[in-house]
Amino acid sequence: MANDKSNFQLVANGILAENPIFKLALSMCPAVGISTTVMNGVMLGIAVLFVQVFSSVTISLFKDFIHPRIRIPTYTLTIATWVTVIDLTLAATMPEAYAKMGIFVKIIVAFAIITMRLEMFACKEPVSSSFWDGLGMGLGFLVGMVVIGAVREILGSGALLGYDILGFKPLLFFILPSAGFFVVGLMMAFFNYIEIVYKKSREQR
Amino acid sequence: MKDILTIIFRLTLSCILAATVMGTTFVLTNKAKKHNEHVKEERVAFSLLGFEGEAPESVAMNTVYRYVVSRAGEQFIGYLMPGENDGYVFLQLDLDGNLVTSDEVNLTDEKVRQQADREGGIMNAIGPGNAIRFAEQFQVISNSDERAAYLITGKFPGYKTNIAVMMALNTDFSIIGFEVLEHEEDPGLGGEIEKPYFKNQFKDKPFEVMRDIDVIKEPIPNEYLEALERDLPPEQIEEIMEKYRGNDIYALTGATISAVAVADGLKGMIKKFAYRVSLLDSVTEKNESVSVIF
Repeated sequence: MANDKSNFQLVANGILAENPIFKLALSMCPAVGISTTVMNGVMLGIAVLFVQVFSSVTISLFKDFIHPRIRIPTYTLTIATWVTVIDLTLAATMPEAYAKMGIFVKIIVAFAIITMRLEMFACKEPVSSSFWDGLGMGLGFLVGMVVIGAVREILGSGALLGYDILGFKPLLFFILPSAGFFVVGLMMAFFNYIEIVYKKSREQR
Repeated sequence: MKDILTIIFRLTLSCILAATVMGTTFVLTNKAKKHNEHVKEERVAFSLLGFEGEAPESVAMNTVYRYVVSRAGEQFIGYLMPGENDGYVFLQLDLDGNLVTSDEVNLTDEKVRQQADREGGIMNAIGPGNAIRFAEQFQVISNSDERAAYLITGKFPGYKTNIAVMMALNTDFSIIGFEVLEHEEDPGLGGEIEKPYFKNQFKDKPFEVMRDIDVIKEPIPNEYLEALERDLPPEQIEEIMEKYRGNDIYALTGATISAVAVADGLKGMIKKFAYRVSLLDSVTEKNESVSVIF
């Protein structure tokens, strides 16, 4: 399958049209559990971004050698390898960053979004497109996490990026994992609504 | 059949490849990682004890190593501690807490830090027929030859994996403070055990309160929360902290298991440690022949 999209379109596709959280609804479990603050969202987003890009490129490089019947184990192995490498390198070279990001890096192995992108895209496309697709998906995940994190942090703890802005805590419920689903659901509805309005306005023109 | 063979071959190959990559990274980074962990532990220890950057000159930190000694089907508890003369002394206590033997161990300060050298030295001193197993180590901090504080580390199961902590105790076993060294609790939920408002709840809790501490599932009262987060002037903080000193620990919202794990873990560590130190104290007092710095 040849790819007719430009690099920019590939990145934009990951952020908007196929946003992993709002459109594909993948990796909901960790996303919902952790996105209680903006900072958590940013940390997890960056970690996913790196693992996604590295794994996509690796699988794309080796796609001709991977037997179709064992591709999923191979993907998991690749992701686990990159997660371990990033975890160890971070611990050795940047202890301050590792103190904050360590726990986020370790939970990535089980992320559906990465396996799914390898299956849908990287195992068919050339290396450069896989790189841009991985970047787009990672950024899309990052954006989604930051938006959900911001909503939950403001409503749950009355703060943004750790700075108290409301001065009180509106609803503690938003910090709890179950509230993540409500926020994601409302966000999906919001994004779909915007899309519908946008399409209608284009049709009328 | 041929298909299966290719699958086996390729899967094995990719596993070997992945293992090589991970192994190489491990070898390349392990030393730096260990070093970083050591630096972090030292920094945590100093900040817990209230030193800034470096320990004052009057302060001495002595490490005591605890071993389990098995000999002819019986078990003894061994403590390796610095002696009053140069070198180290290995005390062996039976399970009732009576001194069995005390042997001089010929070790230098550098060698005692390496586990292999240390164990070799102990084995030389106590002779053949014994098996020793390392249990734990703790530090005794003394200021101008007066015992001032203890520094202990420990691990206990949290919600997901083990939580490793370092804790500083006063000589009456009240908590000076504790720090989480390592954990894998969920960020935003169990991960809150690292936050000041949770950690400070344990600060200055006396031994009598910690001995049967519990966790209550109630929201933290506002004034206490402000004091815990150190948002108030120091005198006011002290007053509020004093008011809640005898109380139980307030659980973390959405992460009661993690909060209970920490409270129970610290409780267990302090109780065992207090028991061991009181045993050691009575042994060194009763037996004048034992000359250790403790």
